[in-house]
Amino acid sequence: MNLGERFPQGVVRDERPGYSGWIVDSSLLPNVAQTLRREEGFDYLSSVTGVDYLPEDLFETVYHVYRTGGGPGEIIKVRTPRGRPVLPSLTSIYPGAEFQEREIWDLFGIQFDGHPDLRRILLWEGFSGHPLRKDWREPMYEEETKPFGARWPEGRRNGPPDRAFTRPADALAPGGWEADDDRALYAALENEAGGRPEALQTEFLMVNLGPQHPSTHGVFRVAALLDGETVVNLKPVMGYLHRCHEKIGERNTFPGNIPFTDRLDYLTSLSNNFGYVLAVETLMGIRPPERAEYLRVILAELTRIVSHLWSIGFLLNDLGAFFTPALYAIEERELVVDIFEAVTGSRMMCNFFRFGGLARDIDAGTVEAIRALVEERLPGKVDQLDAYLTGNEIVQARCAGVGILPREKALAYSAAGPVLRASGVPYDVRKAEPYSVYDRFEWDVACRGGCDVYDRYLVRMDEIRQSIRIIRQALRALPAGPVQTGKPQFQPRVPPGEAYGRVEGPKGELGFYVVSTGRPNPWRYHVRAPSFINLTGMAEMCRGGKVADVVAVLGSIDIILGETDR
Amino acid sequence: MGDLFTTVSNWLNGILAEAGIPPEAAEWIFAVGRAFLLGVSGLLLVVFLIWFERKVVARMQDRIGPNRVGPYGLFQTLADMLKLVLKEDMVPPQADKILFHLAPVLAVIGVVGLWAVIPLAATAYGVDLNVGVLYLAATGTLGTLGILMAGWSSRNKFALLGAFRTVAQLVSYSVPAMLAMLVPVMLSGTMSLAGIVAAQDGFWFGVAAPLAALVFLIASLAEVARAPFELLEAESEIVAGFHVEYSGIRFGMFFAAEFLHAFTIGALLAVLFLGGWRGPGAAEFPTLGALYFAAKSFAGYFLLVWVRATLPRIRIDQMLDFCWKVLTPAMIVLIGALVLVNRALAGTSMWVRNGALLGVNVLVAAGVISLLSRSQSQSHAGAHGRAPGKGAQPCALAGMGDEAEAAS
Repeated sequence: MNLGERFPQGVVRDERPGYSGWIVDSSLLPNVAQTLRREEGFDYLSSVTGVDYLPEDLFETVYHVYRTGGGPGEIIKVRTPRGRPVLPSLTSIYPGAEFQEREIWDLFGIQFDGHPDLRRILLWEGFSGHPLRKDWREPMYEEETKPFGARWPEGRRNGPPDRAFTRPADALAPGGWEADDDRALYAALENEAGGRPEALQTEFLMVNLGPQHPSTHGVFRVAALLDGETVVNLKPVMGYLHRCHEKIGERNTFPGNIPFTDRLDYLTSLSNNFGYVLAVETLMGIRPPERAEYLRVILAELTRIVSHLWSIGFLLNDLGAFFTPALYAIEERELVVDIFEAVTGSRMMCNFFRFGGLARDIDAGTVEAIRALVEERLPGKVDQLDAYLTGNEIVQARCAGVGILPREKALAYSAAGPVLRASGVPYDVRKAEPYSVYDRFEWDVACRGGCDVYDRYLVRMDEIRQSIRIIRQALRALPAGPVQTGKPQFQPRVPPGEAYGRVEGPKGELGFYVVSTGRPNPWRYHVRAPSFINLTGMAEMCRGGKVADVVAVLGSIDIILGETDR
Repeated sequence: MGDLFTTVSNWLNGILAEAGIPPEAAEWIFAVGRAFLLGVSGLLLVVFLIWFERKVVARMQDRIGPNRVGPYGLFQTLADMLKLVLKEDMVPPQADKILFHLAPVLAVIGVVGLWAVIPLAATAYGVDLNVGVLYLAATGTLGTLGILMAGWSSRNKFALLGAFRTVAQLVSYSVPAMLAMLVPVMLSGTMSLAGIVAAQDGFWFGVAAPLAALVFLIASLAEVARAPFELLEAESEIVAGFHVEYSGIRFGMFFAAEFLHAFTIGALLAVLFLGGWRGPGAAEFPTLGALYFAAKSFAGYFLLVWVRATLPRIRIDQMLDFCWKVLTPAMIVLIGALVLVNRALAGTSMWVRNGALLGVNVLVAAGVISLLSRSQSQSHAGAHGRAPGKGAQPCALAGMGDEAEAAS
């Protein structure tokens, strides 16, 4: 599609070497988005992020949109001057932009006109500045990029004090800011709820589930407005585990980010490696050898099994099953994690993928162990879990019809992974835009139309079976040969340009948007985190339900805070 | 062997008489001593109960459970208690101090008090009240009051939610529990628990009225707020519910009360429906009867633990629906039918009468189950059909699946 012809004024092709997509004038952005969504069928907003081009003195906001029917996507970019960064919000066209625009406001300071609730999301309201701007320096700033210079270059301390150590007086609480007890958050909650309870002259009860709460799966907070036990409105509050992942990622060298991605969704480190490595390989224009491709698929699918087993077990825990299903699921997970240990040397932080291949080859014994696991052990154990859990009356009563996210809403909120597929959208990146060697295997996209917690659980069950199917085929077809293109590089040369590498992670579409300027460090490193974006639709799922349903819904979205907060 | 309990009491009576204490005073000392003994042994039993539950649940979860402190980890609970006692006793500054301090005491009294009337053997019980069943109902409510007070006085939103649920759940489930307790009362013609056990000579009420026993078990599960009804303290929802602000030994008191209450339900089930201390040779040797009683109580308690280890929790609206739309009407119908049958067959042999009662139970149970399954298939339309293997199969992406197959 040629957006340039459609909008002769204000839309031009991005001609920079290594870049693609369209540069759209900010005033035309809603029109262009409307056209893409309504007329061209780009119904899925995958990612929104910003880039700070400090030398050109402008911010670029980058939108990746796709068709759920499959095929390549479109990239649109909007430029704003750094001095006055204001953009129209796309939340009315793509509601899934809500949290992502808040994140951009938080980290870049780009304002979105028309956003319903533009507050900071990962940092706290009193934070000083917008840290992903290239001219923002952290209090412990050392250098712009790694590797940093030696701290004791001549065997002694580099002069007192220990290097340039600047810490503005108002770094942590800028002048005049006082803790306001989240007044803005509560006000937004009540405004959206609109009025008091009608039946009785009572008041709403404001309850914060979290950040310290047994079933928020980490330090996550749900601010819920209750009418008795019924949820009137709620807002997820996150950022308690924010670790400046993207800022550090821009300081790191390209290969230095691979182990760093492990820490995103710490249950699925190999899938995370996969997405980042794909993005950088696209930039470098290389592909790994066949054997590495097959091994990547095997490891990624094992990761999916691990993640779904964990998620199913802990969903039952959230329903109050006192750890029994969780422990049986974890038992199987342990066996897979043993394989990770044998292959990568680590059980969770695997750090195994490299640009153009893998870190090491895998020995015949391990291949045999994987085969034994997927041929003999896992299918029976999955059936067993299925037999005990799926038909349970209480599980059905608690899950079926709970946390409804209709098909249109799921798409609009950019839900991904099992959440989207349980709402009847058979959208799986592995099929929609096959990467690696996924197009060579025979498997089905697990998809169900119930739109509720129960179907999200069933989709995960189905996906475990499909993953086993893929692994079996991959093991049968596993070719011999090297696992690395060329010799292993300590410092790969990454040509300038941009790339968006996306994989179907266990939690959903995991994307890495990487911008290179030809230097050893990425200029921009953005993670499209499914755990984060899936939460956009959470309020929709929970409204009208009970407090207990909030927990079930949260368990069915299956967030990992390492990825949500980055 | 003889009767251990009578021997001991006679011996003690002798000592008191020799010391020149008047018989009235001796009786008082005796009553206080019995109460003390029952209360202390009840709370000591908790030490074992916690170990038992942890061990059973661990085995069901493919784990080993406590095995470090003492043989088979038996003293683990003692270590935990020591820790609880040594912990700082914190009271939230905004709490209603009097109620806050009173609540755990009431919770324990409400449970320990129940043991006063439970006949442990033919000759061993705290007191044989002629309104024993009424006493059980009244004392049980004391514990509910304690929980309600704890939830209200803590000034914590989770505790308050727990208190909401207390009101909804414990008060509601009292109704089917009372109705179920009415069945043994009706069949035996007495409210005295010793009398109820005595009336189960030959036929246990649990055999004659299994549905009533089942409803009693379910309603009692809710009364003690154990899985799948542990909504008051639902860990994954409202953190710890009513006792969220309690720490140290005050929390320990709630904890002990809960475990002892659960075991008490096993004991009541044994007394009301499983013949109490009855068993071969128990009438001649009350000591043996005490063993039977303990075994039956532990069987009931094991059932509770089993349910806890295997079932998820139900939601508050479902919990209330189940109480008011299923258990209560079922029990009312059952009691009505039992009254009629029992009256009509008053003069006939024990076998005919009990057989007819059993038949009535089976009929009512079948009616309830068929009504339930019909309403369920209406309300959760499709949930059954969606189970894997039938109904929805994974759907391939239109147009894309063909390419993938062609490539493979």
